[in-house]
Amino acid sequence: MADLAVDLGKFQLKNPVMTASGTFGYGFEYNKYYDISQLGAVVVKGIRMTPSHGNPTPRVAEVTGGMLNAIGLQGPGVEKFLHGEEYMPFLRKTGASVIVNIWGTTVAEYAEVAERLEADKEGITALEINISCPNVKAGGAAFGTDTALAAEVISAVRKATTLPLITKLSPNVTKITDFAKTAEDCGSDAVSLINTLSAMSIDIETRRPVLANKTGGLSGPAVKPVAVRMVYETARAVKIPVIGMGGIMTAEDAIEFFLAGATAIAVGTANFVDPFAPVKVIAVINDYLDRHNCKSIYDIIGKVETA
Amino acid sequence: MSQTGEILSNVNLKGDYYSIEFYAPETAASAQPGQFVHVKIGDDRGDWILRRPFSICNTDPEKGIVNVVYKVVGKGTAALAKTAPGVCCDVMGPLGNGFVPVPGTIPVAVCGGYGAAATFMLTRQKEKGVLLLGARSTADIILTERYEAAGFDVRLATNDGSAGTKGFVTDLIPQLLAENPGKKYCFYACGPHPMLMALARQLRSLGEMGQLSIDHRMCCGVGSCFACVVKVNAPGTADGWRYARSCSEGPVFNLEDVYVEE
Repeated sequence: MADLAVDLGKFQLKNPVMTASGTFGYGFEYNKYYDISQLGAVVVKGIRMTPSHGNPTPRVAEVTGGMLNAIGLQGPGVEKFLHGEEYMPFLRKTGASVIVNIWGTTVAEYAEVAERLEADKEGITALEINISCPNVKAGGAAFGTDTALAAEVISAVRKATTLPLITKLSPNVTKITDFAKTAEDCGSDAVSLINTLSAMSIDIETRRPVLANKTGGLSGPAVKPVAVRMVYETARAVKIPVIGMGGIMTAEDAIEFFLAGATAIAVGTANFVDPFAPVKVIAVINDYLDRHNCKSIYDIIGKVETA
Repeated sequence: MSQTGEILSNVNLKGDYYSIEFYAPETAASAQPGQFVHVKIGDDRGDWILRRPFSICNTDPEKGIVNVVYKVVGKGTAALAKTAPGVCCDVMGPLGNGFVPVPGTIPVAVCGGYGAAATFMLTRQKEKGVLLLGARSTADIILTERYEAAGFDVRLATNDGSAGTKGFVTDLIPQLLAENPGKKYCFYACGPHPMLMALARQLRSLGEMGQLSIDHRMCCGVGSCFACVVKVNAPGTADGWRYARSCSEGPVFNLEDVYVEE
């Protein structure tokens, strides 16, 4: 068994397999299937100050090689997250490493959520700043597609908390490395990428968009090559660790991201297909490392041969 | 909770409607009326990747059999219809909250089309009940023989009048109530959204008890993705409603909890 522990600068994980925000609820649902503390980290669905309804339905559409979603960050709000039985109190009991994905509709709200979590941070490993959700009218990608606004959000959150910060980047930009560098400059301890690709699907019989929100975010196997390329470029552009995600269904997919330069990875859409996907990914990464005589996951991180 | 369900049979009932049997002993052992299974059809990663949710129509716990009645509505179900016995499909379930029989009441299943599959296991109750089934036309009427064999009184309504009363399934309720004044009924419903909303309004105005199976296009099936939400009453909140996940908080909701838009 190879050593799977990874160092993300300000925090360490026992293995490099996390769950992608929005695909794992708040962990509660999957703990019925397996002990979620086996995972490197559980990244929960986006949390803001107040409860949010999210978008009208239909919220998902299946497309070739993946799916579109426009959930719109439905959530309980930070107080219920911290005190509601099935949220943070439950997660603390499991002993899992918890990463809280945060968002707001204003710069001030992002900072406020971070400050609130800082005050009750027992059991929280890090915060992930969501500046990349394509499905909310205010907040989300509005901050993640403009480097000046991204800098404002990340700097404000940095001042509000001592918790390690991960900035989740949008692929819906001309040059993702500019945003990674902005995150690094503003005190983010790591970057995670990619969020979903802005997309659309139309029902040709009704001539209406399939999603009530008209557009949504594309995820699943179809986006993986785009994500691998972006992780590869980003890992060369910044010194902070890169967390890779986008269409990882199997350990083989995950290994591509490590080779491209990711220090950790997240399983997203695959959770919807197979609740056991992340634990299977961990097991098969282990097999791969053994088969390639690797003593540590670091033997493959960034080791793509480009010469 | 997840098993490689071998297909034991997969037969066409009529038109686009099929009845399939999976060998899924864990599901068969505990399934309640109104619960569902989430099925991975083949291992295709191209045209479709997600599971498909199906109401559990019937089970044979001794033989480990789970029966699902489905309609071909897209690529996934079209592929399932062409899948031969012997092939395995990963079957997750039973999932969701089912119907809870109310003792001392006569069960009335109010269904639209193949929604009748979701209420069939209610026929296991000692109290023999009634099936009120609505459909577009006689071509969409299925499962009536099974209900009759189970001792249920079956009454039909079709939009085109090709079977039973011409009209909506809700049109059958006043007569049922008039036949036996004083009897206590509980209505268990599954069907298209507009039918369920009309029924909710009607049952409320009549002061009758009800449980409605309501869902929306589903993704994870276990409560994590928040795709399949439906509006439920949330007293004390600004809007008076909230989105509840039909997969994990439903699909069966009590009539009192269903939010009916004006």
